[in-house]
Amino acid sequence: MSGMGSPLLPARRRIRQAIVILRKELRDSFRDRRALFSIFFGAIFFPIVITLMMNRVADRARDAETLAIPVLGAENAPALIDWIRQQDGVTIVDAPAEPELAVRNKDVDVVVIIPKNFGERFSGSRPAPVRIVSDSSNSTAQPAVQRVRQLIAAYSGQIASLRLIARGVSPTIANPLQIQEIEVSSAQQRAAVVLSFIPLMLMIAAFTGGMQIATDSTAGERERGSLEPLLVNPVPRGVLVSGKWLAAAFAAMLSVALTAGLSVAQLQLVPLQDLGIRFQLGRNEVLGMLAAILPLCPLTAAVQTYIGTYARSFKEAQSYMGVLISVMMLPALLSSLYPIADRVWMYPVPVIGQYLLLTSYLGGRAPGILPFALSAGAAVALAIVFIQITTRLFRNERIIFAR
Amino acid sequence: MITIDSIHKRFGDVHAVNGVSFTAGNGCVTGLLGPNGAGKTTTLRMLYALMRPDSGRILVDDVDAVAHPQAAQARLGVLPDGFGLYPRLTAREHIRYYGELHGLSGQALDRRADELFELLDMQAIADRRTAGFSHGERTKVAIARALIHDPANVLFDEPTNGLDVMSTRAVREIIRRLRDQGRCVLFSSHVMQEVSALCDSIVVIASGHVVADGTPDELRELSGHANLEDAFVSLAGLRERTA
Repeated sequence: MSGMGSPLLPARRRIRQAIVILRKELRDSFRDRRALFSIFFGAIFFPIVITLMMNRVADRARDAETLAIPVLGAENAPALIDWIRQQDGVTIVDAPAEPELAVRNKDVDVVVIIPKNFGERFSGSRPAPVRIVSDSSNSTAQPAVQRVRQLIAAYSGQIASLRLIARGVSPTIANPLQIQEIEVSSAQQRAAVVLSFIPLMLMIAAFTGGMQIATDSTAGERERGSLEPLLVNPVPRGVLVSGKWLAAAFAAMLSVALTAGLSVAQLQLVPLQDLGIRFQLGRNEVLGMLAAILPLCPLTAAVQTYIGTYARSFKEAQSYMGVLISVMMLPALLSSLYPIADRVWMYPVPVIGQYLLLTSYLGGRAPGILPFALSAGAAVALAIVFIQITTRLFRNERIIFAR
Repeated sequence: MITIDSIHKRFGDVHAVNGVSFTAGNGCVTGLLGPNGAGKTTTLRMLYALMRPDSGRILVDDVDAVAHPQAAQARLGVLPDGFGLYPRLTAREHIRYYGELHGLSGQALDRRADELFELLDMQAIADRRTAGFSHGERTKVAIARALIHDPANVLFDEPTNGLDVMSTRAVREIIRRLRDQGRCVLFSSHVMQEVSALCDSIVVIASGHVVADGTPDELRELSGHANLEDAFVSLAGLRERTA
């Protein structure tokens, strides 16, 4: 035909073009407030959430130790009240006027009511009534309620022993069983729940980090009318898509690294040992978790680049992204409800594989090489498939000219 | 030098370009003249290889634009019908971006960018972000980035659309200078004055066909009208519709 040489560009020129596009998209995005927000969202927001949640857990743990018990009718049982006052970390305070309402409104965790006939029945050696007002649906109040129950039961047990001794009976006869409780404190459990948010947060960062760049450089490029002149440059479509994809993947990785770094730094400030958590996130755990989640970023970026190219408009792309993030979060949410046993076939499944790797680090054990290789390999391979489909879309005239 | 040989393009039932052929030579301005919807933009899009003709041949300096789109694009500087800019990038960044995609770098790129800023009289806006640029300023940025690789062939699709008088004059001046540098300049327009003021050669397109092709004088003679606008109306077969 034309006598010209091969139109194929040397590989080096293609790589240079992809880098030019990558650099331009990153420069453009770092001047875009929305893109910056989507990158730094996780890094700013999640450490704050961790701090708030951990402080709440710590406050609760402290609250249970120095418990202020509202008592109504304290004058009816002065001996009981004196005894409670002598216990460590407990004070007696005046009860609110309407105890049941106050508990229902969560103004107080628990109220003890001592009826007027307490003294009369107590001195008559008949069971004396003590009412404990609590709300079992208020889970944060349970440590306080437990403590009050234990105190009153302990006092009751002491009085029973004294009465038996007074009648010449050994108190041990009344205790056929000796119950020993090994307690897993609720503070510890709640702190563990906070830690289990980390995989979810990293997943969200892997998704939101590149979202704005991926949308702006595809659907946004077409909506601005800058796609047509761009495509007139002698750049193969695959190179163009790769540059845009790499920019979004880089932003997602940056977002994950910042989120992980700042969240972990924040956790270092929280006295985990005081909350009864022996597990500490060391450098190896953090690096391992990053190695687990980072390969997901090229995949989320590739899917987002595809969606941005396929969508008719920026708005349409954004609404697809919303659906996609819910789909992505599903495995993580489901597995927190129904703990999933890890089977080898699960590791290559995107999101689930990464989630399993992250949770096994939080469980205090490092996964082997095979799970790592399977989850990373599958994510990157799937990303390449999406890039190829997107490249095909970019060759479609109806897609380029906005349909 | 651009040669188009009986290209066709259908969109569903619409035969948008129906056997268009013409040649645009070096060192002259060729005007692609036609009413809205005549097939000018589609013809140009096939020429700069964003659309594939259903049949026909397109040569850009002897490079087959259908078989080797990127080699053809390397020889073309294009101002498309719609040219969006990146509001967060400066004029210079726009121009460097396209230059780098063409493989330019370092001092050669800087020198070429400065040349264009001077040619287009845009030194004052070179390092400002393009958000808030006037339409004339935006057009200059789009022209500069299309010329960064010093292309031998230049395509402008309706370059003066929506421009004020001063900007229109500036664009015409640029087109003349590009011709005087020996380039092949092809531009499309539906504005008669512009075509008559600028073109060495005119291709009249209507309903996807070339209805006339020649110098302004030849077209006047062909149609029997002394006024080029009357010549155009009669050649494009618009009389029935406008009368």
